[in-house]
Amino acid sequence: MGSVLIPLINSPDGAVRDLSLDGRIAGLSAAELIAECDALDVFRRTAPNLYERVRALFFLASIHRYHLPERIAGDGSASGLIPFHGFEHLLARRFEEAIEVFLEKQRNDGPSDAICSALSAAYHRLAFQTLADQVRRSVRTVRGNQWMFRMGHPKDQPLRFRSELLSQDAAGTYPILRERTPVRMDLTHSAWSDIFFLGMDFPEGAKVLNISVDLGVHKRDAEPQPPVSGWLRVIDRPVLRLVSVDLGAAAEIESLGEVFDFAKDYLGLLKAAVIASGVVPPGIEGSGQSLGDLLAQMLGPGRGIELVSSVNDIPKGSRLAVSTNLLAALIAVLMRATGQAESLTGPLRESERRLVLARALLGEWIGGSGGGWQDSGGVWPGIKLIEGVAACDTDPEFGISRGRLMPKHHVFSRDEIPDSARRALQDSLVVVHGGMAQNVGPILEMVTEKYLLRSAAEWIGRKEALGFLDGIIDALKAGDIRTVGRLTTENFRGPIQTIIPWATNFYTERLIEQVKEEFADDFWGFWMLGGMSGGGMGFIVAPHRKAELQDRLQAIMSQTKKALSDSLPFAMEPVVYDFRINENGTFADILNGDGALMPKGYYLLLAPQLLRRDPKDLPVHIRAELDRFASACRTKPELRGVVQELFDSLLPRSKSGGGGSESLDELLTENGFDPEAHTSIRADMKAGRIGLAQNRLPANTVIEDVKPADVLMVGSVAKSDPIRAGQASLAAGEVAVVTLAAGAASRWTQGAGVVKSLHPFCKLGGRHRTFLEVHLAKSRRTSRLAGAAVPHIFTTSYLTHAPLSRFLAEARNYGYEGPVVFSKGKSVGLRLVPTARDLRFAWEEMPQQTLDEQQQKVRDSLRAALIRWAEATGEATDYRDNLPLQCLHPVGHFYELPNMLRNGTLAALLRERSQLRTLMMHNIDTTGANLDPEILGLHLESRATLSFEVITRRLDDRGGGLARVDGRPRLVEGLAMPREELEFDLTYYNTMTTWIDVDGFLRALGLTRQDVIAGDDAKITAAIRALAAKVPTYITLKDVKKRWGHGQEDVFPVAQFEKLWSDLTALPEIESRFIVVPRQRGQQLKEQAQLDGWLRDGSARYVEELCDFGG
Amino acid sequence: MEIRKAVITAAGKSQRQLPLQSLVDRDGQTKSALSIIIEEVLRAGIESIAVVISPGDSGAFRSAAGEHASRLTFIEQQRPLGYAHAIHSAAEFTGNDAFLLLVGDHLYLSHTGQGCAAQLVALARAEKCAISAVQSTHESQLAYYGAVGGRLVDATRRLYQVDTVLEKPTPTEAEQKIDVPGLRAGYYLCFFGMHVLTPGVHRVLASLFKENAGRETTVHLRAALAKLAESERYLAAELDGRRYDFGVKYGLLTAQFALALAGKDRDEVLRGMVELLATNPTRH
Repeated sequence: MGSVLIPLINSPDGAVRDLSLDGRIAGLSAAELIAECDALDVFRRTAPNLYERVRALFFLASIHRYHLPERIAGDGSASGLIPFHGFEHLLARRFEEAIEVFLEKQRNDGPSDAICSALSAAYHRLAFQTLADQVRRSVRTVRGNQWMFRMGHPKDQPLRFRSELLSQDAAGTYPILRERTPVRMDLTHSAWSDIFFLGMDFPEGAKVLNISVDLGVHKRDAEPQPPVSGWLRVIDRPVLRLVSVDLGAAAEIESLGEVFDFAKDYLGLLKAAVIASGVVPPGIEGSGQSLGDLLAQMLGPGRGIELVSSVNDIPKGSRLAVSTNLLAALIAVLMRATGQAESLTGPLRESERRLVLARALLGEWIGGSGGGWQDSGGVWPGIKLIEGVAACDTDPEFGISRGRLMPKHHVFSRDEIPDSARRALQDSLVVVHGGMAQNVGPILEMVTEKYLLRSAAEWIGRKEALGFLDGIIDALKAGDIRTVGRLTTENFRGPIQTIIPWATNFYTERLIEQVKEEFADDFWGFWMLGGMSGGGMGFIVAPHRKAELQDRLQAIMSQTKKALSDSLPFAMEPVVYDFRINENGTFADILNGDGALMPKGYYLLLAPQLLRRDPKDLPVHIRAELDRFASACRTKPELRGVVQELFDSLLPRSKSGGGGSESLDELLTENGFDPEAHTSIRADMKAGRIGLAQNRLPANTVIEDVKPADVLMVGSVAKSDPIRAGQASLAAGEVAVVTLAAGAASRWTQGAGVVKSLHPFCKLGGRHRTFLEVHLAKSRRTSRLAGAAVPHIFTTSYLTHAPLSRFLAEARNYGYEGPVVFSKGKSVGLRLVPTARDLRFAWEEMPQQTLDEQQQKVRDSLRAALIRWAEATGEATDYRDNLPLQCLHPVGHFYELPNMLRNGTLAALLRERSQLRTLMMHNIDTTGANLDPEILGLHLESRATLSFEVITRRLDDRGGGLARVDGRPRLVEGLAMPREELEFDLTYYNTMTTWIDVDGFLRALGLTRQDVIAGDDAKITAAIRALAAKVPTYITLKDVKKRWGHGQEDVFPVAQFEKLWSDLTALPEIESRFIVVPRQRGQQLKEQAQLDGWLRDGSARYVEELCDFGG
Repeated sequence: MEIRKAVITAAGKSQRQLPLQSLVDRDGQTKSALSIIIEEVLRAGIESIAVVISPGDSGAFRSAAGEHASRLTFIEQQRPLGYAHAIHSAAEFTGNDAFLLLVGDHLYLSHTGQGCAAQLVALARAEKCAISAVQSTHESQLAYYGAVGGRLVDATRRLYQVDTVLEKPTPTEAEQKIDVPGLRAGYYLCFFGMHVLTPGVHRVLASLFKENAGRETTVHLRAALAKLAESERYLAAELDGRRYDFGVKYGLLTAQFALALAGKDRDEVLRGMVELLATNPTRH
């Protein structure tokens, strides 16, 4: 029998190709699915068409992620191991080899949950790699880009600077060429149809309504201006002087190598423009030639170029494609200067705009980023429809993809969309930046995958979105902005959220609710800008209330942000903009003589250095320029106040209010910082006695997988009745839940420092729910079933205590009937600047995910910069150069339970309920953990002190596991594994969920209930110190964000130490047991990118069923 | 189509002295560059030659032409308005005839017994249309030459039907607008500095100068040739030979080497070069 799935990919009938994978395989057995996978794997290796191969890969990834594990569950195949060398192939991006290894394992041992996870990951990554490679190939083959890859020697540089830019005036001043470019807003992107992969496979569905706009900050700027600009002039030094006014960075580049070093400084975008414009063509990278020679070829000997970028204070995450349009502006100015555009000034021709687009795509690829295909929209004027184009036989894409890489642009004329309609849109639309700057990358991957799988609901949503586009264009042509508002809202509520539920978030919903409440019928609609909400957004309102809404939105956003700042990652204060449609597109002019001045910020950045020099040493033309600037400051209104700003930067004022360092010291004292221990750890780290390498167990330790008898299986004990035992204990009120809520969501928000437990992470039971609410809802359900209220303890830290207690007080414990208790952390550490040795160990000795070629280059360069930072700042010195809270660190979850003894939480509990016998402690992100009577019963019957829940391992479950260490079963942390590959021999992964026998634990500490109730602090502290001494101290690296400027963030790796709870299993005096639980119970949510899979694989539904949200 | 007239342009600011330079020809005789060019033209069966010069240069050119001086008509370009204008200055001289056009700062070295000009004139006579000599040129040299795009009409004689003409394009523009099947990547058909043009070119030039009157922009031959391609058959031919532009740095030296290595004194010159290489200290 032939495959039933391959026709979904290659059938000539479009209706068959659009059938959903999920629907087609609904009735297939595991064996049939495996046969289908074999057929798909053969197909994807032989299919000539790129997109057929890619779809087959996504089918394979999806079957192994969502369908096969479900089919084989319960038949003993749940456990299994992943071959380490397959994993190594995966890390090195040798996806084909990895797939081979995993398939062979599957053929030999049969399918398992573990191997399915590995295959799914390998197919998924290969699919994206294949797509990305194709986009890159297409970018290179665009006519006008190809020559730059062939040019390898300065003498071959065919570009010459235009003579107008080479002539100096009497004062030695060269003219300045200035390119000013609007940014773009999309009224609809037809459900992210501007992702390259979609546009190239489904060109007829790739449609975007895109508007070029000028912006100004409401009440700050006199009028909207083109927000981004590139400035260029010739200089009398054979260097590339790059200045980013917006990022406050400047550098003089003297070698070709530096031009290609993107992450060395903040000038990566300018460098990408220099390369993509052909001034330093990509083909010359690594040629060993001289930048001076290359410049001489274009400009004559001794001359160089100064390129300046400026952004009119628009922050990151604005969803207005600021960086792509800035890149386009810089490329355009460089292309004009080198004769690659016919006109030096004024607007560009259509063919030139298209070339700028092609070069911007190239630049984004070179810089390791990747925008959407509509992002350079600001280069075009006014309002335009950007559409995908089917590839024809003269296109390089023909036969490879259905669509061309480059879309076509139809600029709407005044006849199509009259001035009155344009004015009406401007009169009703309020554009804001909500303050959130989130990575939209995972969303774009989800969209691509769902499209290629033709997931049923999402595919219908995609088609609906196209209908919205037509409706919005019609309404716009008619000047009916009310209808535009209705349609953008329906689009947001309908197809956008059908495809990606994460496009909205709690913050956005709160804003919409409040605006709706205040403006009632005058609120015409909400409009999501770009890939997701929370950053750039639009609110459409009746024109007579626009001014009022602008004022109110500023207040509403600020208040809502304040209320949610502990829960959601905000990067900046929300902003309301004034905007105006820009009818020019990108536009250049030339500044001569007295007018030849760079943007204001340029002088604020560079003048202080010049003014500190002896004026006699300054070259004549620089003195002349400073003179011109000084004179302009006196006459030009836009430069009013600059002298004061210049003074401030010449003589920086001392920080007001004592600054950060005092509050850091106060915080340390308040939170139980132990300076003596810190000094000793710092000295040990500096001397190399502790460090990443020293975390590991001795190399001769024997680490093996556990035997079946070493674990208890849920549902496998026949001779007793653990469920009844568990229910009885619950009914007697003997159990409490301890939720670890001290964490700062460092992985969840890439180090943004918010409270993870307060993150409204997903819609469950119809509403966004925080982790906190989910855990309380499970306890509510348990309490109601058992007829006894379960005490719920949240452990907190210096980061989370105040926000959590405030939040729960306001939320009235979400109406939870039982006791809710906080156990405040009593230990804190001060982070350290890492040693170069540890950074190298982490990046060079540990297995690393190799990135795709260009991204890898960027990462290598960034890492070299970070090592230099650590060495320059002082290795193993205190890390204080950040917000105080970002300098502190929790000292590991070993201390969580001991803290309950030290802070009196356990004493209070024992006083109130002497029957308390068991605690279930779990991580905040283990959403499936609840007081399951069966597991509780197993724990009670085993009479263990600690029962740890473990799950079978999947590829992503990294960081140790359950092992026999020198013959004894225990948990081993990933940090302690002597060799990375050992982890891959371990079947079970630790979920951290632990059932704790209170008396047994106290015995291990040498304490009694009476000691705890009596609160003998000295005795308790000594007992904890004695136990702590028996477990190892690990050094770890954490990524910490440092925010600056307008929503800019840097991520620094810092060192900290910790002691870990699972190491208690190594102590012979503590009886530990290990219970294998279902994956959905033990699954942890570490990254937001996991959420979509978690929703799709039924885990969210599983958790929902454990919950009772009350009411 | 008869081709009996030739026009040599030598009025450019940087060109004025170049044809007057002395070189040793293939036969070992010392001659001016102008004489060598004139002999190339005469070998092509041309009977009358006009040289377009700057006002006041005729004495020097007459003397440089030596024995050929009597065959020459000197036309002074009254104002330095560019190459196209220089050509158009000879409109009266060429009248209603097709003519061979050369630049005064290039030398041509044929790889066959037939000179480059002779090859081109023979092709034009056979094809009865305007034809430009072109040479496959690397994109790094595009800043110096005009370039053409078109389709191959005769692979043996390497003849192309021209549809696009660009003046010193950037490679970006060339890649986008010029399509020539059969060339290696990064190579374009660039002008060789030698054309056979029909009287039509003067009509086009006249209209372009009229349109451009009062503007500051220059009329380019490129624009005229592009228009010519629209109105009559216009070909490009790759000749069996090479051009040497002695207007560029070391251009004269290179041209001299090329002449000498192709002539009777080849061994003597090679000997001298080897000696030079052997005795000259290496540069650091």
